[in-house]
Amino acid sequence: MLKIDFGAGGAVEIVGRLDAAQSPAVQAFLDKVQGTVTLDCSKLEYVSSAGLGVLLKTQKRLLGSGGKLRLAGVNRHLQDILEYSGFDQIFEIIPNG
Amino acid sequence: MTPGSERGVRLARDVEPILAVAGKLAAPFDLPTMLAEVVDAAKQVLAAERASVWLYESATDELIMTVATDIAPVRVPAGVGIAGSCARTREIINVPDCYSDPRFNREVDRKSGYRTRCMLTLPLIDHKDALVGVMQVLNKSGGVFDRYDEALATALAAQCAVALQRVRMTEALFEAEALRQEMEMARVVQMSTLPSTMPAVQGYDVYGTFRPASMTGGDTFDLSLLEQGFLIVLGDATGHGIAPALSVTQMQAMLHTAFGLGADLESAYLQVNNQLAETLPDDRFITAFIGLLDTATHHLRFHSGGQGPILRYAPAAEAFTRSKVTSFPLAAMPLKTLRSTATLDFEPGDILILLSDGIYEYHNAQGEQFGEQRVEDLVREHYAKPMAELSALLLQAVQDFAQGAPQEDDMTVVLVKREAAPTEHQSFERRFDSLQQIFEFTAAAFARLGIERDYLHAIDFTVEELFTNMVKYSRESSAAVRLDLTRIEGGVEATLTDHGVDRFDPTQAPDARIDLPIEQRTPGGLGLHLIRRLVDAIEYHYSSETRQSRITFRKTAGTATPHEGPAGTRENDAQD
Repeated sequence: MLKIDFGAGGAVEIVGRLDAAQSPAVQAFLDKVQGTVTLDCSKLEYVSSAGLGVLLKTQKRLLGSGGKLRLAGVNRHLQDILEYSGFDQIFEIIPNG
Repeated sequence: MTPGSERGVRLARDVEPILAVAGKLAAPFDLPTMLAEVVDAAKQVLAAERASVWLYESATDELIMTVATDIAPVRVPAGVGIAGSCARTREIINVPDCYSDPRFNREVDRKSGYRTRCMLTLPLIDHKDALVGVMQVLNKSGGVFDRYDEALATALAAQCAVALQRVRMTEALFEAEALRQEMEMARVVQMSTLPSTMPAVQGYDVYGTFRPASMTGGDTFDLSLLEQGFLIVLGDATGHGIAPALSVTQMQAMLHTAFGLGADLESAYLQVNNQLAETLPDDRFITAFIGLLDTATHHLRFHSGGQGPILRYAPAAEAFTRSKVTSFPLAAMPLKTLRSTATLDFEPGDILILLSDGIYEYHNAQGEQFGEQRVEDLVREHYAKPMAELSALLLQAVQDFAQGAPQEDDMTVVLVKREAAPTEHQSFERRFDSLQQIFEFTAAAFARLGIERDYLHAIDFTVEELFTNMVKYSRESSAAVRLDLTRIEGGVEATLTDHGVDRFDPTQAPDARIDLPIEQRTPGGLGLHLIRRLVDAIEYHYSSETRQSRITFRKTAGTATPHEGPAGTRENDAQD
């Protein structure tokens, strides 16, 4: 199952698999966030193109109001997807430290 | 002394040697010894100067007298001369004065210088009332043969006939036994050229077996790993008796010598054919399939001299294909050049089926042949079983079919199967909620099939993309979507099959514009854009007949890898 919520450091933590079936729930959560938001992806096991769609929609909304969505804890799979889709040009990716 | 008492004395004197002869004749003599014994006994009992035995040969209706081992036997047609006349009438002929009997052949005396005065001729008839020969006793010492001599001779003749017949039968048995032993020997040699164990061939399941007929047959097979490749042979020599067994043994020896000396398929075939053509009798030949399989490329090259059918079953297509023979049988005549080598490429799961005609032509009690259809039906049903089991099932089916009809020819089975690719499949309901089940299946199948786990993300991503497309765009179908995962060399192949849908080829969708500014970007088309980069060889098949869509793709080490990510990303890899 997929979980999404605010973590202790203020970032949004997403845990599990973000597939087409889970996208509506994630979209509903992210529709409520404001400003500059960091999405901690270190426990995101998997993301599908439906998940990318959720991220894109959220980024467009936040950018429109002066905020943005930053991605942290990006694993190789997500990195590949972001690069192939050109999304690495759309999202600020915080390097793993 | 009354004539009666004189006769009693003679009887007492003569019975003893007759009994002695009877005892002697019971011993297991060879024919010449037996004849000498009979002649000696006759001379002694009848006080005659000479005696001889003519043996009757029913095949030619002749009487034959073996005078001495180094002289050709004398033959007279039954009915000719005194002996011949006796053979015809089967009655005793007592001639007191030969020179006054017109049947007597004076020529014999003239040649030998001996003068025949009187002669007693009597038939030798065995206990089954068959004529064995004719015995002649010449020149009674001090007179002519009388009625009493006739009675004595008749008693003796009865003994001799049975003894002679027994010797003849024993000799015939010995001959048959010698032939049987010779045959057994040839069969032992023939069997010794067969592989005693099946070789372990990487990626293949191979099996051969040989079931000899009781008497004659000339099958052979070979399954051997050679420098030149994996050798596959099925041979069947013509002829009766021990000849076929010897012919195929010779062929096997020649083949191994040729390959051992480094010959390729063509020159080995040519040389063996030409040598056999030279050494085998003109009416003999050997039908043979000789092939070399490259187990890495799955490419089989072969020549078949009259050995067919060359049957291949492709389970993927559920179809049999037949290859033609390339030449006439081996040894039929010398060859200067060969026709081009035939080839056959094994796909995963393909089975090459070579069976000798002892199987196809096995007749049941109704005279019906086992035939090719029964072979095909059986293979179709049991192709997934190990080849040893398929072979056993085939031979069992032949036995069941025969209903006790005897096996008249050798039966040989050669089966070569390229192992089917390890594969797993599951069907999923057409809704987004199935995704979790799909991912559980892919993860479990990867583990069970031993597929590199690094490829799981790409497969999941691609399967989800295609599956959700099916859910979104083919709402009118309620059929489940089937997913097949197959381990292939260096990776994995996945197939999604969708039923009852219209044609929709996602491979034709245009690439997403990933260089657009964010305002102009939409999620649409992105998924297909991505899977083209994550996996390779995406193929779409549509059957309008069954309204079935099938999408196949692969992920292997050869799939283009993304350019290097930042160092931080790679560190993160370790946690994956």
